[in-house]
Amino acid sequence: MRTRKYQLALSLAFVSMLVGPGIIQFGLDRAAGRKSPLLDVMSGWPNAERLRRFEQRVTEDNWVVRRTRPWMQTAQWLLLRDLGENVVVGCDRWLFYRPSFDYVTRQADDRVPDAASAILDFRDQLATRGIALVVVPVPNKESVYPDQLTARAAAGSLCQSASTADLLRRLQDAGLDVVDLFALYARARREALPAAAPTLYLRQDSHWSPTGMRLAAEAVAERLLARGEVGAATTSYTTRRVTTLRPGDLVEMLRVEVIARQIGPEQVECEQVVERDDGAPYTDDPQAPVLVLGDSFLRIYQLDEPGGAGFVAHLALALQQPVMSLVNDGGASTLVRQELHRRPALLANKRVVVWEFAERDVRFGTEGWQSVPLPPQEGTADD
Amino acid sequence: MIGTRTRTHQRERLAVGWLLAGLLLAACRSAADADRAAPRDPELAARGTIEVTARLVEIPEGAIFQRDLYNYATILKYEVVTVHRGELPGSTLYVAHYNPWLPRAAAADARVEGIGGNLRAFETGQVHRLALDAPLEDHFMGGVVNKYFGQDTGTLYWAVWTNLAEP
Repeated sequence: MRTRKYQLALSLAFVSMLVGPGIIQFGLDRAAGRKSPLLDVMSGWPNAERLRRFEQRVTEDNWVVRRTRPWMQTAQWLLLRDLGENVVVGCDRWLFYRPSFDYVTRQADDRVPDAASAILDFRDQLATRGIALVVVPVPNKESVYPDQLTARAAAGSLCQSASTADLLRRLQDAGLDVVDLFALYARARREALPAAAPTLYLRQDSHWSPTGMRLAAEAVAERLLARGEVGAATTSYTTRRVTTLRPGDLVEMLRVEVIARQIGPEQVECEQVVERDDGAPYTDDPQAPVLVLGDSFLRIYQLDEPGGAGFVAHLALALQQPVMSLVNDGGASTLVRQELHRRPALLANKRVVVWEFAERDVRFGTEGWQSVPLPPQEGTADD
Repeated sequence: MIGTRTRTHQRERLAVGWLLAGLLLAACRSAADADRAAPRDPELAARGTIEVTARLVEIPEGAIFQRDLYNYATILKYEVVTVHRGELPGSTLYVAHYNPWLPRAAAADARVEGIGGNLRAFETGQVHRLALDAPLEDHFMGGVVNKYFGQDTGTLYWAVWTNLAEP
């Protein structure tokens, strides 16, 4: 008798889990006068839009799912140290972004977008206006810190994907100026070992640390000065130390407050760039000869907290002159050039464009790697 | 013995039935309370420089999908039904919606504040009442997924408030 009760309760719980959320959502939709997603998907031929909407409403817009998911994720983290499908938990609680991890560890298929052609096309378009291009692929965290993912990787070793190696080779063969942060970071890690040097990437975030960012800015400045497109210093900058608390983007991405509180923010020591004379914070100059295009690697510390302490400000510090920047989160492959197309004034007086993009964008860049025309020149007939 | 077991099973089934019915009723009442038709939304008149009723013409393939690490705006194409406030140059509008995979009420975040509305999900053919700002470049700096790039879209508009138009 008792066994049967257990069987019944177990079966009931199982069936409730399967059909309960659907029944409740059906009731909610009816009460609110909305068409149920199931009726919606069956109301015509199941085309792509209808199926996509159905999937979204079943997985994201379901009342029960929305209320239970944070608790499930919290339990998963506390009991299993698992943060779900988009975050890989490495050694010492280092977190990695799954698409970047996949980029480094999985073989590319035939659908890899042709990044090299788009980059070289951009270089050629800029050249017709007398503007040079320098590209700065930022290594994935996984490429620089494979030893935080597996004991098989030696500390300081580099793990470069075949797609990245192929892209860098094609760009260099075409004579494009590429700042190689892979070699720079590998060297920095080797030279710092075994001392406990500051890390080049944040633990809970997909981005570089202030140390990694500053190394990159100095390398780019050195390259620009060597090329001769940037003149003598025009401004005198200095820095002031600022400490900020940054909740990792990989933690925030989960949108679960309990987990975010449990993990806590990361304390980050930044160097804010200010003018030596009056201590005024660094600001871009639209008339500067250097335009920097890029993604959230430019945003961090610069537009995010503490402000004026990111790559753009540190590039200006190393050059001792302001630059101009265009930041497009997650859009360095195509979207940032489309935005440049909408903002023609940004190319005024430019002699060199520095184009930063995240390594994973080589394969996963939003909207791929499209060929994007430059904006019409200001003052020409096709304005 | 058999009769007792049958009665027990009947009671269990009855209890389960009542439980499910109760859950369904509670859910319906909660939703009805939350979604009870609101009076005309004052946010529409208070926000943006243009207020318009427009029909969503299409949702291009791949324009709306869930983002994880980054936030984007997506350009959607509308046909103007009525202009309530401000001026528009034509009858077709290209409007940027921030994180369109989210219900409008949940779309704002620390970087993009002050947007919202009662629309829960974008569907082709819907008629929306929108409060807009223009041009997009003056109001949003970030990733814009624009499947119409290269076409003659004219000014791109920034959706501040998006409600499902009342019939």
